[in-house]
Amino acid sequence: MSNHGQLSRRSLLAAAGFAGLAALTACGSGDEGGDSKDLSKKQDGAMKEYRAGEQFKATKALSLSVLHNNNPVYPTKKDWLFWEEVTKRTGVTLEPVDVPLSDYEKKRSLLIGSGDAPFLIPKTYHPSEVAFVSSGAILPVSEYVHLMPNFREKVERWNLKPELDSFRQSDGKYYLLPGLHEKPKAGYSLSLRTDVLDRIGVALPTTWDEVYEVFKAIKAEYPDSYAFSDRWSTNTVYPAGALVSYLGASYGVKAGWTYDNVTFDTSAKKFVFTGATDAFRQVIEYLRKLVAEKLLDPESFTQTDDEATRKLLGEKSFGISANPQELVQNYRFNLEKQVKGAKIEMVPVPLGPAGEVVLGGVRLENGVMVSSEALKSKNFVAMMQFVDWLWYSDEGQAFCKWGVEGETYTKSGSAYELKPGISLMGSDPKAPKDLQKDYGFFNGVFTYGGSWDLVSSSFGPDEKKFQDAMATRKQLPIDPPHPLQSIEQEQATLWETPLKDHVNQNMLKFVLGKRPLSEWDSYVTELKAKNSERLADLHTKAYERYAKENA
Amino acid sequence: MSRGPRKSVTEPTRGYRVFQGVNGVILTLVVIVTLYPFVNIIARSFSGERQIRAGEVTLWPKGFNLTTYKIVFEDDAFWRSYGNTVLYTVVSTVIAMTLTTIYAYVLSKRELRGRGLLIGIAVFTMFFSGGLIPNYVLITSLGLKNSVWAIALPNAISVFNLLVMKAFFENMPKDLEEAAQIDGLSTYGILWRIVLPLSKAVIATMVLFYSVSFWNSWFSAFLYMDRTELMPVTVYLRNLIAGATTGSNSGAGLDQLSQAAANIQSVTIVLTALPILAVYPFVQRYFVSGVMLGAVKG
Repeated sequence: MSNHGQLSRRSLLAAAGFAGLAALTACGSGDEGGDSKDLSKKQDGAMKEYRAGEQFKATKALSLSVLHNNNPVYPTKKDWLFWEEVTKRTGVTLEPVDVPLSDYEKKRSLLIGSGDAPFLIPKTYHPSEVAFVSSGAILPVSEYVHLMPNFREKVERWNLKPELDSFRQSDGKYYLLPGLHEKPKAGYSLSLRTDVLDRIGVALPTTWDEVYEVFKAIKAEYPDSYAFSDRWSTNTVYPAGALVSYLGASYGVKAGWTYDNVTFDTSAKKFVFTGATDAFRQVIEYLRKLVAEKLLDPESFTQTDDEATRKLLGEKSFGISANPQELVQNYRFNLEKQVKGAKIEMVPVPLGPAGEVVLGGVRLENGVMVSSEALKSKNFVAMMQFVDWLWYSDEGQAFCKWGVEGETYTKSGSAYELKPGISLMGSDPKAPKDLQKDYGFFNGVFTYGGSWDLVSSSFGPDEKKFQDAMATRKQLPIDPPHPLQSIEQEQATLWETPLKDHVNQNMLKFVLGKRPLSEWDSYVTELKAKNSERLADLHTKAYERYAKENA
Repeated sequence: MSRGPRKSVTEPTRGYRVFQGVNGVILTLVVIVTLYPFVNIIARSFSGERQIRAGEVTLWPKGFNLTTYKIVFEDDAFWRSYGNTVLYTVVSTVIAMTLTTIYAYVLSKRELRGRGLLIGIAVFTMFFSGGLIPNYVLITSLGLKNSVWAIALPNAISVFNLLVMKAFFENMPKDLEEAAQIDGLSTYGILWRIVLPLSKAVIATMVLFYSVSFWNSWFSAFLYMDRTELMPVTVYLRNLIAGATTGSNSGAGLDQLSQAAANIQSVTIVLTALPILAVYPFVQRYFVSGVMLGAVKG
């Protein structure tokens, strides 16, 4: 027994030693990049005058390594027209390092940690880049965006600076080049059985109060079923993550899977703990009412997606959260097969006390990290110009999404149409070719963001209706930058998870009626005991410091 | 438990019979629990989409349907990964068996000087490893990345298997080898002509252990392979399962497609597990005695 203990202690020590070594190696490789703001020796292949809207073409042939997410829906092929055409247009040959989608993050950490990362590391979701900042392995790209005219032009024209500022670290720099959207794109909302609503004579709801009335009407007609039974409760720590999120937005609070422990209170000019706000309480009260009156299936918060869908198809429920893709390809497609005359539609997110709003900060998407090694390359400037063209220029974005005009698509006005014989996500089941699988366009690694024209060019009729309605709404203000320093970050990390867990658990208890809402005050006291206020204060301090330093 | 048989060998006591009854029930339950997922996966792989979605499929296929099998059989990527898996498994198992056998044989000789050190080196790796990143850096700088060696060499000796084999060799009667020596066989001759032919049981067991673990492994390939065409079928399957929950499918007709979406995972699982399952009955004869060999020393 004692022997056992000794061994594990020894192995712990050894592990710590190795970890230290690894950290040292990682740091070592970062430092050599130097502070070389002087880019004069790194101009190989770069264009002397490269402006926004101009075609980038390397002055000599280059090759660039890029981490590539291999999506099983369109597995990577060497003979994709995409690779060939990129080289033809820009003189840059992309060398993909293929990583299975299932474990993309794992391999990315490994490659960065071992100093073996490709120059370009796309498909990185904020804030996962933060983990690599302290090792120096990735480049503070904000220092080099002067090489990227298209990127700067879009940030300016679409007024994305506040969003971008929220990516800044305590050194005032940001390390990720995010995808940029002209307008926020909403993802999720309620979908309801419209044939049932027609039959019982109620209209589609536009506010949450009407949702309640509609649910009551459905319940009156089908007392043995639920009006609504929801999904997106598994594979996420947030019960009914989608529903709570868009409901929360209508109350002006980050909830569900968009939950964040702290929120900026614009009137008091400080951060407050989200899970203890009034708006958060109202969200819970609303859900409690639905569950208490048996309108909302209590299993919504625990069941799997499959179970929820099965209830919808089996008419055990008449509504479910949706995104446009799930609506068309899953619910509607399967309902039509199983229930005669069934119709289902998605409604624009119903309005709540916050009015016609959507969450802020959703105009930035996943994006590209650049390895610090790239800065040592003679081709650095050309590389940044290339990134700017491919991911941020109008032509680059249209090319990544739709391919080559005349070959894969035709364009009239702002409408894109695929050439006959080419299908996209099942748009033409009989087509022999597929834009993603056979040509390599519309690839999540390269295609995201852009102007509303481009983004909406691929919407189906349902999504178009939904997005057009949502696009008129105002964004809720986003939190001002409040980057923590590394010691603060460690402290915050220790507090974050227990707090989040406590909020989630108690939200569930309140909603399911296992804890009466009269105990709200003691719930808030419990949160305080778990350092909710100190966490908020920490962020307020960081916000004030940042504001002072960057005034 | 021990009371029964001691009393009489031919006529079991009542207590023993009760014990056997209970034992039988419990073991049957264990068998059912273990087998059910297999049977269910097989049933799903042959079932229709509607029945799967409605949750009707349990033990027997419902709405018999082969569409997904057809789709998978027509997928080049599947067969390419399958070929990789076969290649990696065969090469790795051959190398692992060769190295493990000769290492274990050497260690079984008590008169060997430095034997303790050699054992120590092996056992050390059971408790300590360099860690993920140092290993990755090592393999990369040795130039093994994107080759079968990156999978075969680092996993060539499993210390557990080594120790089992060593114990087996230690049990071999010394006289046998001495007689062979007197008859003029060299050290290698003894190993090759006397010891190995007498060790079929343990060799079969080890081949099974190694090949199953190489067949099922995905992590080394995932770490050291940068190109999709080098990935084994396990990585393909893993990716497929992850993708099925995130992406929408495309290409085939929508009807075919939703059939595939419903059971492509079970179809691929069946196809992946089948060959290695098929090996078991053939080596089971050796397997049962083989695992126990070396467990008890006389």
